[in-house]
Amino acid sequence: MYAESLQLLWPFLVFVLMLLVIGIYCLFATLNLIRALIGVEILIKAVTLLLIVVGYITDHVALTQALVITLIVIEAVVMAVSVGVVLGIHTHKNSLDIRNIRNMKG
Amino acid sequence: MYSALILKPFFCVLIMNMFLKGWAKKTALWVALLLSVAQIIFAIFPETYHQSSFIYVISNFFKFDLAADNITRVLLLCIGIVFFVTIILAKQMIKDDDRRFNFINLLLIIVSGLNGVVLVTDIFSLYVFLEIVAVGSFVLIAFNKEMLALEGAFKYIILSSVASIMMLTAIALLLLVSGSTSFSAISASLLYSTYNPLIMIAMITFICGLFIKAGLMPFHGWLPDAYTAAPGPVSVLLAGVVTKTVGVYTLMRIVISVFGLYLPIQKILMFVGASSIIFAALAALGQTDFKRMLSFSSISQVGYIVLGLGCGTTLGIAGALFHLFNHTIFKSLLFVNAATVEAQAGTRDMQKLGGLSAKMPITGFSSVLASLSAAGIPPLAGFWSKLIIVIALWLSGNYIYAIIAVMGSVLTLAYFLSLQRMVFFGKLREDLMNIKEGGLGFMIPTVLLAVITVGAGLAFPYLLNTFILPVSSIFGG
Repeated sequence: MYAESLQLLWPFLVFVLMLLVIGIYCLFATLNLIRALIGVEILIKAVTLLLIVVGYITDHVALTQALVITLIVIEAVVMAVSVGVVLGIHTHKNSLDIRNIRNMKG
Repeated sequence: MYSALILKPFFCVLIMNMFLKGWAKKTALWVALLLSVAQIIFAIFPETYHQSSFIYVISNFFKFDLAADNITRVLLLCIGIVFFVTIILAKQMIKDDDRRFNFINLLLIIVSGLNGVVLVTDIFSLYVFLEIVAVGSFVLIAFNKEMLALEGAFKYIILSSVASIMMLTAIALLLLVSGSTSFSAISASLLYSTYNPLIMIAMITFICGLFIKAGLMPFHGWLPDAYTAAPGPVSVLLAGVVTKTVGVYTLMRIVISVFGLYLPIQKILMFVGASSIIFAALAALGQTDFKRMLSFSSISQVGYIVLGLGCGTTLGIAGALFHLFNHTIFKSLLFVNAATVEAQAGTRDMQKLGGLSAKMPITGFSSVLASLSAAGIPPLAGFWSKLIIVIALWLSGNYIYAIIAVMGSVLTLAYFLSLQRMVFFGKLREDLMNIKEGGLGFMIPTVLLAVITVGAGLAFPYLLNTFILPVSSIFGG
């Protein structure tokens, strides 16, 4: 494909992978609802960065700009709704512990 | 002309909220009902459509790249029918005007998103519409703000976000390889470099993301919780079209028109489909909650659709599509029945119910019809679609999967019979003596969906030739 641009890609890729690992670790390790959402946010940031890098390498900067801006808007909406749901859980249980939401099993 | 399907619900929401709020609170229901009927008519007779100049101007302003083929038409019909049913149920179940207005607004946004998912030809727009549907569903699941509903919504939010992230990663990788986001450009560039490891990673990530959205067996954690905890009309909407469109239809579209049916992908699809059929059916056997059993049954039936798709032949995909339609109808019917029983008896726990058929004959009879259709008993629609899938699997040489599909059918019959025995058959319990049949808002959807289930079974040869088999044309173009 683009041999020299792939050379350019991989330091970014390492950083993206690091962010992905941090985000996944955050999702699995945390016992706090807000922190779980922060984990999701970190994952989305990693993917956003990946999109920007891809646009830079393949010379489609305009296209990826449009994509990334759309992505940021969507992300904000999703987060607003999720925080609303977390707020609802907090009013019921008065705590943000993730163990409160293990009522349904099987 | 297809952009009207996306723009009309969207602009209805805008106009009703901006200018006409006082008036719209009373009439929103009828506006939505009109839109749903228009969509059903459009899906069945696309040639009757007349474009108004207003929509023409607006759709020139929004540049959508849309396309429709036979799969799309079937999906548009499913969305229309379930949309209609949901509105009537909402009129019956949500009494407060304000709350109903909110519900209708969210419903219209979801329908707009679903039509978008079905029609787009661009992988990033697909993602955008998927997120619109997902956000609408989050709010609708938590609509009553009960603890269990919030719990289901939160699980759905986390897993759905992870799925979106996986899809976005795949989109970025595909963009790296092909330099474009449209379906045709990506599939053209994939033709030259199929076994490039980067592309393999992208394909598998994307497909796993869609498995989460469709709630297939290794990734099904959110689905039973969200379906069970959601209010009645929302369960119908989610089980009927949201997961089917967002997960299964997108999987079909991506696999058929973008990635192409390569052997590794087919193997993954068939394995996941078969494991969903068996394990979800086994899990359903042990449930005592009406809606929870239906949700596991839903996972199991989606397994059939994915199995038919993974078989890769024209017959298999036709069977998958037909089963998708049938499943939308009979599973919506069963969830309507569940909502009726819950509203009348006040509980979903099957051990506290019994003998309801004596007092609720229409609900009892229609749920028997839907269960038999799901289990694949001959004159009903579900039998034909399962038969097509099993024949397709057998003809393509996947004998083990064909046997699994038949065995899954037996398991389906087992858990539905136990459901019927516990809820509808037998002697009426004494504490349920003065239970009554549900109101008109429950009966219209029940009768409509039951008639479609029986009708699709009896008119099977006509449907097969006009709707289902022309699916093969998508391979040509």
